[in-house]
Amino acid sequence: MNSPRTSCLLLIALLVFCFGVGAALSPQYQFMHLTVNGKGWTTQPDRQSHRLDISRAGGDIFNVVLGDSRRMFAQSFYVKADAYYHSGYYPSMFDNKEAFQTQHMAEDTGAVNSKNHGDEESFLGPERNWIDSFGRHFYPTRHTHLDEGGASGDLSGSEKVGEILPWLKLSADLNPDNPQTYTVTAFWLRERMHKTAEAEAFLHEGLRNNPDSYDILFELGRLYYESYHDTTRARNVWEAAVQKWFAIGDPEVMKENKIVFEQITTHLAQLEEDAGNLPRAIYWLQAAQKVSITAGDLQKRIDEIQAKISAQK
Amino acid sequence: MKNIFAVAGVVIKELYRRKDFYVLFIVTVLICLVMASVNVFNDAKVARYLKEICLLLVWMSSLVIAVTTTARQIPAEKENRTLLPLLAKPISRPELIFGKFFGCWFACGLTLLVFYVFFGMLSATKEHEWPLLDYLQAAVMHWFLLGIIVAMSLLGSLVFAAPSSNSTICFVIIGGILFVGRHLDQVAASMHEPLRTVVNTLYYIVPHMEFYDLRDLIIHNWPVLEWKYILLALLYAAAYMLVFLTGACLVFRRKAVN
Amino acid sequence: MSVILKTEKLRVEFRNRESRQGTKVALQGLDLEVRSGEVFGFLGPNGAGKTTTMNVLLGFIPPTGGAASLFGIDVRQPIARQRIGYLPEMTYYYKFLTAEELLRFYGKIFGLTRAEMDVRIPQLLKLVELEHAAKRPIKSYSKGMQQRAGLAQALINNPDLLILDEPTSGLDPLGRMKVREIIQRLKDEGKTVFFSSHEMGEVETVCDRVAIINLGELKAIGTVAEVTGTHSNLEKAFLEVIGYKPQPLATI
Repeated sequence: MNSPRTSCLLLIALLVFCFGVGAALSPQYQFMHLTVNGKGWTTQPDRQSHRLDISRAGGDIFNVVLGDSRRMFAQSFYVKADAYYHSGYYPSMFDNKEAFQTQHMAEDTGAVNSKNHGDEESFLGPERNWIDSFGRHFYPTRHTHLDEGGASGDLSGSEKVGEILPWLKLSADLNPDNPQTYTVTAFWLRERMHKTAEAEAFLHEGLRNNPDSYDILFELGRLYYESYHDTTRARNVWEAAVQKWFAIGDPEVMKENKIVFEQITTHLAQLEEDAGNLPRAIYWLQAAQKVSITAGDLQKRIDEIQAKISAQK
Repeated sequence: MKNIFAVAGVVIKELYRRKDFYVLFIVTVLICLVMASVNVFNDAKVARYLKEICLLLVWMSSLVIAVTTTARQIPAEKENRTLLPLLAKPISRPELIFGKFFGCWFACGLTLLVFYVFFGMLSATKEHEWPLLDYLQAAVMHWFLLGIIVAMSLLGSLVFAAPSSNSTICFVIIGGILFVGRHLDQVAASMHEPLRTVVNTLYYIVPHMEFYDLRDLIIHNWPVLEWKYILLALLYAAAYMLVFLTGACLVFRRKAVN
Repeated sequence: MSVILKTEKLRVEFRNRESRQGTKVALQGLDLEVRSGEVFGFLGPNGAGKTTTMNVLLGFIPPTGGAASLFGIDVRQPIARQRIGYLPEMTYYYKFLTAEELLRFYGKIFGLTRAEMDVRIPQLLKLVELEHAAKRPIKSYSKGMQQRAGLAQALINNPDLLILDEPTSGLDPLGRMKVREIIQRLKDEGKTVFFSSHEMGEVETVCDRVAIINLGELKAIGTVAEVTGTHSNLEKAFLEVIGYKPQPLATI
């Protein structure tokens, strides 16, 4: 780096690279439309405009640069988001990861089959020697979740969970074929960040990349029902999710994902119950019973609804 | 002491007259500003990813500056033949070594100051708060880590013939300690003898540089550390600096310089 | 006159790099004395041991045997160099520094105060005719200017003993004359100058005493007249002392 010319060329190259990455990550320019007379770009589509999906072009940049290893990076960033969820308190490859096999940020959405067991409070184990003991003062050693106050313990700052979003977004861009990235992101966007429109847009993007994903459809339905209170759309989307789940075909995969099916059907049951369609509610609860490990509790609910029907008669 | 500070002053002058620091700083600023302009679901308050990227760049830049600046000190003096007129003055070899060390270390301190001020301003634009004590702790710990690295690199420059090989070896050692140093005893436990004893011994001998990496605490807004632990860590660093510098003085003492 | 530079049975051996076996003797029992106030010429062919002697005197290499002292202090102690100035044969200085900064740096090492340097540095720069270039980095200097900057740094502490390693090497006639003038001026001020050179004419002009060394051994020492002896000039005496015999030219 001895001549100014070399330094300038290096700076220019880095500038181009950085702006390219920045443009690829920005969702504002996902849809650009060329006007009919070709004189400029607009975000307002008209019938005769040509649509250029620059987000796909951005995804292609990663594909070109990283190839199939982008999935590895995507997974790494997904895990990083969970590390952020824990404010940095996270097991390394040398630590006991029994309690972190399923990311807690996903587990807390309530729609994921958790594989975690063991004590999540102390994966580090007892202090091994004075170096380990002294070293623990210099990195996070307390288990916290961002939506519950994080490191500061300030519950009023639960919007801080938004800090995980950049890594989730990057993970989705690198590997658009992982539905869980979209559902987890949308859940936190909706639940804590109160950004329902952004969550919806992100889920739609996820559906475009994963048209058969019941997970995304379920989360979309939750968004319509819980945030927009749009019963009709929620019902349509959840019923589509049920159909997608049955379309899996493979009994092993269905068994693996039965918690999602239970979630979908119980939510449908609640929706129908709230809408006054009590027989339909019972139908969905009975469907849920077939996969649930808490069939007894579901039976109690069925009995309650039966009683309501009887009372109406 | 006057000789030591005289030599240190020349080293600092050299650093700010070379382009390395400015290029690295400008690259850091540019990348951070681009990353700051990224829209994350229309939320302007998301800051931690930016803090992490900025701190990662600061760390990488500071390590590069520390190692490359120090690795070329003595070899460049020999190659440029400036060592002979210097040693012909009433300055002892240990004074020269300590002068080079303090010059490189203070120069690293100045660059860290600039980088951390930028980091502080950048994170304040997003988080609207200035946890100055946290940043001060992180900066001081980082500076003392660079002191260990400078001392180690100085010793390496006297042992290895070429600055490039010294730099490479230093980077490998630093990277290894930062990533794996904390877990070497666990790695040793999974090995058979005699490798287990060797790795375990390494675990106790190597300077545990990971103590000085407070990035996670800064990024995720953990509370300020107790100053007694910071002080102990700084003493630990000072001890290792002394060890490496003593080694450098012993090696340089009998080395022919013509 | 007191002896300010002294070597006693000075011996230096190096490991033989070519054969990696055995040692090469660079100096064999060198006994040398330089008295205060004299200009002393140190002569010898290439590889005779002149630079090795200077390296020992300046503390760059340790002697294998014998002793060397400056002002009665063992050369291995840094304080022995407090009152000397040294000009190496090849002048290389910190290219990113200006001449003024270089002189200030060396001045600090000699313990000069800021006030002393504020007086001394302009004087030196004027002496070596570098006042106009004092604020420019040394990397922009010509070879002659770098040589003059080297001379200035050798004089920064107003040394009692100046050690010069081939001071006129690579200089044009004007440059050589200026160096001779400076040496003469220093002699007039009562300073001691110890220098090595290949320029016999120069040595005859300025030196009080000379020593001739060859293959690490002292071959002759004394005043210029004593060493020249019956020869017409110092050069012929030098060639005889080192054992040079002219060979008839082979027919081409």
